[in-house]
Amino acid sequence: MRPLANTRSATGIPTGRLAIWWVLASEVVIFGGLIASYIMHRLGHPEWANAAAVTNVWIGAFNTLVLLSSSFTAVLAHKAADQGDGAKAARFLLYTVCGAATFLGVKTYEWWSEISHGYTITSNGFWSFYYTAAGLHALHVLAGAVIMAVVAADARKGKELHRVELIGIYWHFVDIVWIFLFPLLYIAK
Amino acid sequence: MSGSHHPNYHRIYYTLLVLLLVSVAGPFLGIKWVTLITAFGIAVWKATLVVQNFMHLKWEQRLMKIMLAGTVTLLLLFFFGVAPDVMKHTGRNWRNDAALAATARGIESHGGAEGGEGAEGTGGAEGTEGTGHGAASGFDARAAFMTNCAPCHGQTGGGDGLAAASLNPRPADFSDPAFWRSRTDEQLLRAIREGGAAVGRSPSMPAWGGMFDTTQTRELLEFIRAFRRS
Amino acid sequence: MATAAALESHAHDAHQHHEPRGILKYLWSTDHKVIAMQYLFTGMFMGLIGGLMAYVFRMQIAFPGLPVPGYGVVSPGEYNALITNHGSIMIFWVAMPVLIAAFGNFLIPLMIGADDMVFPRINRLSYQIFFLSAVVILASLFVSGGGFGGAWTAYPPLSAQEQYNHTPLGSTLWLIAVALEFVAFLLGGINFIVTLMNGRAPGMKAYDIPLVCWMIVIASILFMLSVGPLIAGAGMLLFDQTLGTGFYDPTRGGDPILWQHLFWFFGHPEVYVVLLPAIGIVIEIVATFSRKKVFGYKVMLYTAVATGVLSFFVWAHHQFVAGIDPRMANVFMVTTLLISVPIAELVFVIIATLYGGSIRFTTPMLWALAFVAEFLIGGVTGIFLGATGSDIYLHDTYFVLAHFHYTFFPIAIIGTFAAFTYWFPKMFGRMMDERLGKIHFWGTIIPFNFIFIPLFITGVGGDHRRIYNYENFPDLAHLHWLRVVATVALLVMLLFQIPFFWNLVRSLRSGAKAGKNPWKANTLEWTAESPPPHGNWPADQMPKVYRGPYEYGHKDRDEDYWPQNVPA
Repeated sequence: MRPLANTRSATGIPTGRLAIWWVLASEVVIFGGLIASYIMHRLGHPEWANAAAVTNVWIGAFNTLVLLSSSFTAVLAHKAADQGDGAKAARFLLYTVCGAATFLGVKTYEWWSEISHGYTITSNGFWSFYYTAAGLHALHVLAGAVIMAVVAADARKGKELHRVELIGIYWHFVDIVWIFLFPLLYIAK
Repeated sequence: MSGSHHPNYHRIYYTLLVLLLVSVAGPFLGIKWVTLITAFGIAVWKATLVVQNFMHLKWEQRLMKIMLAGTVTLLLLFFFGVAPDVMKHTGRNWRNDAALAATARGIESHGGAEGGEGAEGTGGAEGTEGTGHGAASGFDARAAFMTNCAPCHGQTGGGDGLAAASLNPRPADFSDPAFWRSRTDEQLLRAIREGGAAVGRSPSMPAWGGMFDTTQTRELLEFIRAFRRS
Repeated sequence: MATAAALESHAHDAHQHHEPRGILKYLWSTDHKVIAMQYLFTGMFMGLIGGLMAYVFRMQIAFPGLPVPGYGVVSPGEYNALITNHGSIMIFWVAMPVLIAAFGNFLIPLMIGADDMVFPRINRLSYQIFFLSAVVILASLFVSGGGFGGAWTAYPPLSAQEQYNHTPLGSTLWLIAVALEFVAFLLGGINFIVTLMNGRAPGMKAYDIPLVCWMIVIASILFMLSVGPLIAGAGMLLFDQTLGTGFYDPTRGGDPILWQHLFWFFGHPEVYVVLLPAIGIVIEIVATFSRKKVFGYKVMLYTAVATGVLSFFVWAHHQFVAGIDPRMANVFMVTTLLISVPIAELVFVIIATLYGGSIRFTTPMLWALAFVAEFLIGGVTGIFLGATGSDIYLHDTYFVLAHFHYTFFPIAIIGTFAAFTYWFPKMFGRMMDERLGKIHFWGTIIPFNFIFIPLFITGVGGDHRRIYNYENFPDLAHLHWLRVVATVALLVMLLFQIPFFWNLVRSLRSGAKAGKNPWKANTLEWTAESPPPHGNWPADQMPKVYRGPYEYGHKDRDEDYWPQNVPA
């Protein structure tokens, strides 16, 4: 079903990877816009420190650890796919998916705990941004995990191995967004 | 294919873990600048490691690096173009009263830097923090202020009420620290009870002594004291 | 090389087996030409709706309180919904889908010698999301409470709080429709960008790419980079509307000015997102019907890029009187006045291309020339708005409205008709009737000027925008005759669209058969059949490129044109 236009590469970059970079460019400005808006408000409202004090830096750090590790397994999957070992790539991709599931599970616990203490999205400006930014990020984690599972299924059969690298690049981006959200929402209160 | 470039992923991963530890440890030193540098500086460092080595940007064509650098530049442009309006609450000839009030309210209710007893929240919205104490006598200083004083002095005491534009001199601005430094409490209590002319100020300020007794006047004073910017 | 050709041929044959037939074609086809048609006709249908909305609200302005034929009495809330959705629909559901999605989809693979876009299934998905967004925006007009009436700019708190806008459902649906449209165009844009970068025919270097393809891709990049912060902002507005957050509520720690900045950071580059493709269309037509090389290909390309970059630095000129810091206003005034330079340069290149050419006044050429003349008026009147001093007076008056209609109408309407009449033979294999085309042309252009020149005058005279009934402004009663003139001119213009539809239907059914290259043009799409089959060219005859796209008028050749795919 793939058109032959897809087999050409006037730039030298494979088409799929070129597309992923452009997807990331659009995501950078989306998350960047949201985060920039948050920073502007946070700097202008020093009293938000009171709300921010509630977030649990240990949970945040653990989730950071989980995502960093999942990026590690994702890139090892890429290396395996590069060497033609689809089964190994699929295994490492599944470790990454497990990391995603862990991240989402921890976040669910964290949010459930915060909400039951009365900190909801409408509580104040800090919480509105907190849930929106982390929520948008979590949606991207979920979507990425689903796509990764599909790519892993193909890879195990030795098919479409180039996609392992592509979903990996997306996944590292999701990791990087969290690398910035973590200090913003948990450390630099 | 970038495939031929595979750096030592294990070493990068362990570096990332160490950096994570440092960024978590930073706040424990308690120095704000150290925290900010460790938190965000390390975030940038971690992100760079991931982008260059895991995403292989280091070996990617220059076009992609330029494109990504472009997006970051755009975000900086966005931030610096918008922040003067949104981040600051005062500027040249303008002031965002609602935001200033929200800020004051927030700081008030958590460890009250200013305000003596009876200080209450300001502004018209229901505050989620800072309910303040009601006066023991049942006198609602806030309501009294809104009804009688806010038309000239403004809902947040900024001297910018609806009637203010036609007054010369303008009504006093209770958020201005300079105002508070230039008057004693006795002078202010007298101004409220006996009017502006009695204290050598504008006769536009009426005498309210017929409406409020001394206790209530004192409570009003404490109420407007909370408008003061720190 | 032989292996590459065999590889191409094999992939191509595999491709050909999957094309659906009949009605299912419109549900499942991934062929870029089918998707282009879907965007084109959806866009034109939405254009009709937007035009009819204008009819209703102009009638209300000219004859306030009287029932509008075919609609009835217009209430103030309905008036607001009509003007809001007229603007939103024309920009997001007409200009963008027609100029970028339809012509981008149709032209890019053909003009670069490819058999399809590089991601055909994502292409189909993008249309489906777009179609959904069109359904949602139309549905928003019929829900309880009525359609959103807070202007296409949707400033909070009006757009955020039901207590102000009285259209809780309409507001939310409007926002969701716009968000869906953004997603559709992000997906589509990535397809265009990657296809142009990577999918070119062998031999086609960067400077051999036809300018319209460059313009559409630059526009897609501009769109992608500018819409990001607004998508974040739209999410925040949606939460304000539905969850009761206070992102834009100053009493709760938010700021309505933030929305304005987020919106216009996108909103200004957006106008160049639609301008550049229109200019690309015009330059293609002008080169073909002047039988002349484009005066400055590289100038045009780099100027377009410069315009795009500069367009990110001018946005706050929409906010001069909104309460932004006056020092920022000064900065934005300088950048705004500066951006008129590269745009003027683009117009100069078009004019210089015409100069000394052998002009053929076909219908497409008439539209292209009209674009230049009318856009010039629009551009020049922008200068008054870019200067903060005069903008203080002119902001929110009809002067602004006339300015942007003198830019948008050439872009969205004139550009569309230019492209449509030019590429109709290729899309449908038939020629359109020239006489009907010219009647339609003059019947559109002349009334257009009679609509908007009066509105410049009423604007300077004091008419504010978004006013439901000018009878409430007795001081402006002396301007009423101009408002009536504008409305009557609109009626005339709408009537003259009938020859176009008649021409369309008749030509599709019984127009003269078009050969491959009725205009004797150079670019690759004219080497394919009219209309091109699935895959565009037979697998073993994919074109190769030997020269640039505008080699017209070479003295030493028999013909005055030299197609890109003809070996030297």
